Amino acid sequence: MLYVVLFFLAISLLLYVILAGADFGAGIVELFSSDQNQQITKKTVYRVMGPVWEANHIWIIIILVILWVGFPEFYNVLVLYLHIPITLVLLGITLRGVAFVFRHYDAFKDKSQILYDWMFRISSFVTPIFLGMTFGAMLSGHIIIPEHIESQSFYNLFIAPWFNGFSVFVGLFFAALCAFLASILLIGEASDEERPIYVRKSRIATVTVIIMGFLVLCFSYLYDIRFLSNFVKNPYALTLVAISALLIFPLLRSIKLARKITTRTFTGVQVVLILIAALIAQYPNLIITSDASINILKTAAPDKVINVLGISLIVGGCIILPGLYHLFRSFKMIKIFER
Amino acid sequence: MDNLDAARLQMAFTLIFHIVFACIGMVMPFFMVVAHKKWLNTKNPIYLTLTKSWQKGVAIFFVTGAVSGTALSFELGLLWPEFMKHAGPIIGMPFSLEGAAFFVEAIALGFYLYGWNRLPKKFHWFTGIIVGIAGVASGILVVSANGWMNAPSGFDYVNGEFLNIDPIKALFNPGWFTQALHMTLAAFTATGFAVAGVHAFQVYKKKHKELHMKAFKIALTFGALAAILQPISGDISAKDIAKRQPVKLAAMEAHYHTQKGAPLYIGGIVDNENQTVSYKIEIPKALSFLAFGDFDAEVKGLNDFPEDVRPKNIALVHYAFQIMVGIGSLLLIVGLLFFISFKKQIWWQKKWFWILFAVLAPTGFIALEAGWIVTEVGRQPWIIHNIMKTKDAVTPMPGMVYSFYMYIVLYTVLTVAVTWLMTRQIKFLNNSKTV
Ligand code: HDD
Ligand code: HEM
Ligand code: HEM
Repeated sequence: MLYVVLFFLAISLLLYVILAGADFGAGIVELFSSDQNQQITKKTVYRVMGPVWEANHIWIIIILVILWVGFPEFYNVLVLYLHIPITLVLLGITLRGVAFVFRHYDAFKDKSQILYDWMFRISSFVTPIFLGMTFGAMLSGHIIIPEHIESQSFYNLFIAPWFNGFSVFVGLFFAALCAFLASILLIGEASDEERPIYVRKSRIATVTVIIMGFLVLCFSYLYDIRFLSNFVKNPYALTLVAISALLIFPLLRSIKLARKITTRTFTGVQVVLILIAALIAQYPNLIITSDASINILKTAAPDKVINVLGISLIVGGCIILPGLYHLFRSFKMIKIFER
Repeated sequence: MDNLDAARLQMAFTLIFHIVFACIGMVMPFFMVVAHKKWLNTKNPIYLTLTKSWQKGVAIFFVTGAVSGTALSFELGLLWPEFMKHAGPIIGMPFSLEGAAFFVEAIALGFYLYGWNRLPKKFHWFTGIIVGIAGVASGILVVSANGWMNAPSGFDYVNGEFLNIDPIKALFNPGWFTQALHMTLAAFTATGFAVAGVHAFQVYKKKHKELHMKAFKIALTFGALAAILQPISGDISAKDIAKRQPVKLAAMEAHYHTQKGAPLYIGGIVDNENQTVSYKIEIPKALSFLAFGDFDAEVKGLNDFPEDVRPKNIALVHYAFQIMVGIGSLLLIVGLLFFISFKKQIWWQKKWFWILFAVLAPTGFIALEAGWIVTEVGRQPWIIHNIMKTKDAVTPMPGMVYSFYMYIVLYTVLTVAVTWLMTRQIKFLNNSKTV
């Protein structure tokens, strides 16, 4: 049952990164567009994301619940030492969520739209950076777990773990990844005249992701981050990354031809591969602290709890996944009819 | 302000904010589907306008509820890591089921909001019902988690360790049913009166009267029904508390000295130092009766509990309880009045009728917040009743005050923004005379 729970945890994480990631990315694409394109993007984003965006963001709640129910001590370390970046992520999620709704449901469309738009774009950009920094912090090896909290300074305990070069680059990498996902998604959704905009954007985003990924690696090498050596030593992780790197070529070609479905599939596969590689390289030591690592399996709750959690996840999954599939399908199906 | 106080205030403040949006987001879909059904049946376009405008309200409230709820689920861990480390696995059941309920709700809402003219009519309407049912389910589940904190069960507590965890027993803890029943009714009462009040005010101002009258009737039918049932459920809660958390009961009544045939105090000013309540109205033997159904039963006073298990702020608990019960009684009467008004339709022509309901708009929510203050402050100093103290659960990270200030600013701005948006919705509605 433990593995069922871990499976759901991994799936939720992947889906959150892809679905919410594309959603954050849409705001980033909007932020880095010319005025006119901004309005076009705004409309397309609303049409595409509107029905599903709320559901996309629930994955993080599922992740959270699985962690605190199933792996309480693991969760405890996260919320204790990464309190600040998590709070910043929450601030971003809040501002972004309300801005998204306000700008579409405000009864009058007047100057206040400008405010909502900027709130939406900026928080779309900043939130994934902090989210990425939080992930980075788990692997950067700066978390200190002291015997007595008083023995360390505030900076060392609560700031250094996430405010360091490695984490910052992971944050930027994640933001670039989001923009990449979004622009690919938009290629498929935009009308024919607008499609070239997103083809151009996807190319820029692809290059940015590659540069950022490279910088993350450079940084881990220079500062001897343990994540890198684990990564390099793990043949599965390396294979996965290699496959995903090779996929870039057909992807770029497919972007050039403005193909919808293949582009999307390549992108999805690529991102999933990179994420799985990063997870596999560390698994099961998913947090690296300054002098040890935390094995997620060892922090698991008692069997009875895990069993009940696993069963609830399976039952919940059976209800939700078909519903979700239907939701996604319905609104895409409709588009085909409209054409 | 020390760290513990800041964390407690932050928790309280964010919950007080979330509950308003969550309640509206959970109850308004019911109003919306009734209006929608009436449109389907009568084809009266006013109902369509109403449904669409309530739908916008639902969307705005839903999202504000959802983001503040997301913040809350993190906060449980961020503020009370020790609590979550031990309690997380035990009360995982309600929270994981709640996650499922949120999902169902979000999916159904996606269908509902974007399904106009795209989905089959009946199915579209039905997805609105699912939104409401899933919302109520998530409310019940989270309150069950709170019930567990008041009435912990489903584990053995041996030498500071939680052994033999039984998540299902924890879900159905002794507190869950009374609390969930009372809370669900409260949500309907509060939202019903608030929405009806807003529309009553528009009727009073003679703006688009036909529409606002219809809206008023739908909302208040729910609100008044719930308000009539509320005192019964409150009485069940009080009897429950008398058994399970006698300290809380004593604090609610500012009842300092153990007494047989204890009187019930209405109002009064609490002097905690001298342990007296002045300027009160005293109803002899009523407290004994309310708590135990027996006029001569003995009610234990605060003095007979050790100092360190008594809530500190007796006065707050007492006043909050008075406010809740006072408003509860008032809304019961007004609720009955509303049903009588169907026989005496002449009242609907009178100004006082509409002013009355406009003035009552906020009272349901005031009672609801007051009730939570009774429950939560009355539970102090325990975070898990008789097991773990709040001060042992708080995060060791210093500087919680800043986080508290941040939330104050953020949520104050959001409150203002949402209120402003709602006034704009109404303005828009009043201008849409055409339909
Ligand atoms: C519209 C709101 C509202 C109204 C009119 C009332 N209540 Fe209430 N009450 C609540 C809203 C509420 C609440 C906010 O929902 C609470 C907090 C925890 C809970 O489960 O419900 C609550 C808690 C609560 C508790 C404590 C339960 C606990 O700690 O577990 C008692 C004893 C009562 N109520 C009793 C009453 C009585 C005798 C009322 C008589 C009219 C009454 N309430 C009206
Ligand atoms: C929405 C309605 C609620 C309101 C208005 C509310 C209010 C409060 C208040 C005033 C406090 C501070 C108590 C004090 O410091 O004296 C508090 C604390 C707390 N509440 Fe609630 N509460 C609500 C519902 C819940 C629910 C549903 C849960 C759990 C699932 C919960 C969990 C907590 C926790 C963990 C604390 C901090 C520890 C403590 O002070 O006991 N609350 N809440
Ligand atoms: C008495 C207290 C509470 C009640 C009645 C309540 C009820 C609800 C309801 C009905 C919703 C659905 C949103 C909507 O329809 O607007 C909601 C949202 C949410 N609540 Fe609460 N809640 C309470 C306290 C809490 C607490 C203590 C937590 C944290 C553990 C929490 C976490 C959430 C989350 C994460 C969401 C967002 C779900 C989404 O994305 O749709 N709630 N709440």
